[in-house]
Parts: sequence; C-alpha cells; structure tokens
Amino acid sequence: MHLHCAPLRQEHVDDRALRTALHHACKTPAFAVQQSFDRAAAALVHAIPIPQEITDWIPADTYIPPARRPWKKYAQHPVFVATGIAVVVIAIVGIFQLVDRLNRFPGEATALRLLTTASSNKPMMLDPVKTDAGALGDFLFMKHRLAHYDVPPEFEDLKTLGCRVFDDEEGQRVVQVWVAEKKMQFFMFPGERDVKTGAAKHFNGWRHVDQDRWSGVVKEQNGVCFMAALRGSERDLAPYISKKKE
Amino acid sequence: MVADGAKSQEIFHATLREAAQQAAAGEAPRDRLWFFRNARWRCLEAVEKGLQPEDVDIEEGELAEWAPSQIEKLEPQQFAIWISAAPDPQRTALALFYLDEFSYRDLLSVTELKPPELAKLLGRGRREFQAWLDATVPVTQQ
Repeated sequence: MHLHCAPLRQEHVDDRALRTALHHACKTPAFAVQQSFDRAAAALVHAIPIPQEITDWIPADTYIPPARRPWKKYAQHPVFVATGIAVVVIAIVGIFQLVDRLNRFPGEATALRLLTTASSNKPMMLDPVKTDAGALGDFLFMKHRLAHYDVPPEFEDLKTLGCRVFDDEEGQRVVQVWVAEKKMQFFMFPGERDVKTGAAKHFNGWRHVDQDRWSGVVKEQNGVCFMAALRGSERDLAPYISKKKE
Repeated sequence: MVADGAKSQEIFHATLREAAQQAAAGEAPRDRLWFFRNARWRCLEAVEKGLQPEDVDIEEGELAEWAPSQIEKLEPQQFAIWISAAPDPQRTALALFYLDEFSYRDLLSVTELKPPELAKLLGRGRREFQAWLDATVPVTQQ
C-alpha cells in the first residue's frame, strides 16, 4: 500500500512505515517500473512553463519551509535518550555523594573503626564495672586521667557491665563500655582536630553511622566524641536519642 | 489543477493577496503549508463553476517498462489537462505528487487524505494514465 505513495526523492521519505516498505521493495522490478514512470511524469510537470509574472513575485527559493521537528521528536532520538540517561545517572551519583558529604562529621572514620571493634570484642575482655553510665565520667577522670569523657544524659541511666581503656591504631585513648541493655556498647574517644591549629572540630546533634549490621549514634562535646553502638539499625537507637532529658 | 493558465494565475494572485492581508493584520499564517491548502481550495472552487468530471469507470492498464518513452512524447500541457480532468481528490493527489516538492507527510496534510486513500488514488491514477498513454501514444508509434 505504501509503495504507491513512494516519493521520488529520498529526503521526502519521512515516515517509518513508508521507509520500511521501500527498504523491502526497492529492488523489485515492479517498483523500478513505478519509479521510472513517476520520474518521467514529474519531469513532464516540471517542464510546464511558469509565467514570468509569477516568478517575478516569488524568488526561486524553497517554497515550503522545512518542517520544524517538535521537541518530542528530538527527545526520542537514541543519542539524546542515551545522553539523557547518562546525565540522570551522573546527577543521581552526584546527589548521593553530596548527601553523603553533608552527613559526614569529624571523627566519623574513628567511629566506623570502633564499630568493627564492637563487633569483634567479647565482654570478658573488659574490666567489670557495675555502675550507672552517668557516673563513668568521674571514674575515668580519677582512674585514667581522662577529662570530659562523659556519658550524655540520654544514656546515663543505663547500667554498665564492664569498661576498658586502650589506645587505638592512631594512638588515641579510647574508652569502651559494655552496657546491659540490648548488649549496647559505648565508646568515648578524642574528637577530630584541625591539622593546622589543633583546635577541636565540633558538630551539633547526633550523627549516625552504620557498618556490617552494627549501628551507632555519635555526639561531640568538649572535644570528646561519644558513640553508642549496638547490633541492629538506626531505629533501635532512635528511642534513646529522641527523648529529651532535663 | 484547473487546466487553465489564466485561472491558475488569478488563483495564485488571490492567494498571495490574502497572505499579504493576513500578514498586514498581524495574523500571518502559521501553517507552513497554508499557501498550498488555500490555493488548492480556490482551484476546487473555480472548477466547481465549470464542467465537472464524470464519475465513470476509466480503463486501467498495467504500468509498462516503456511508459517513460511514451510520456516523453507528450506535451506538458497534455498531462496537466489529463490531471485536471480527474475527479477530486484524485486530481489533488496526482497534481501535488508529481510536483515532487512535498514530503510524504506534507502530501497527506495538504491533500487531507489518509495513507490508504492516497495510495489507492495514486495507484489507480497511474494505471488510468497508462491506459490513456496506450491509447494516445501507442507503442507502435515509437
């Protein structure tokens, strides 16, 4: 059916169905006969003289402006689709990286290392200390001369099982505390410092870290970071940090 | 379309005049094929007042390989008259198709036909023209 409408010029074929039909029929004898018939007829039409008065009115340029492709046609071009997908993927990756960067906090690297420590330690490695977590600050100052190693109010009512002080791989003094509730562990460690000035880098509020099915919440105060960690998700720790203590 | 040079010129001028009036009124036609659509309808209006082609079954012939040589023997005016004698929309379809200035989609747009209709009119037109060629410029005369 479409072959009857086959234009003489390739640039006039602007329909996919017609293009497909022409592709299949272009080498058939019947189509060749039709095309030579049409060429001869078109040549005859073009031989019809146009009055001088008309050519004076209109210059010998294209009479039919080229069709403007709507933007939807351009958007469906495979090159644009592929480019669009690539741009979207790059944008998504960029956004993830930006969100990740915004969520970073000073001491995050140490916190993540200590989550690994939490997952690999057993309670028997700790010295037995049975007290309220809130009293640990004074205990650590008197026994180990560790100032500002205080447990935040959100966790101070929890009962401790054991405690140990050790140096981590960067030589920082770290306190590890086992707590009865939910087999939680506390870590207290020096906060990150500015390399040039040595000043402690502070941050506000609680920050969250995850690693290997262990989850932790971290807070900084007076240059010392406190982390509460347990085997689970952020939701398991949320009830503790969401309650406000006076 | 009208087989009359003077009428064609008149229609051309009228179409051009209307385009200029619309442009002067700030309403220049946005449709890029407006000129051809307008001219076509003026041609059909002009023809309505004259003799109408009869709706009869015209003899058809299979397209021949030697048809181009038959066509070469014709005067351009003869072909124009033959096309103008065809009933519309076949007349429009043949005239615009053999102008060889329109893309397939533009042709469908100006003729206001669907693809099967256009295909049928052009296919039949060729066969009818071949039959007319065989009668007018028989092969023995070459």
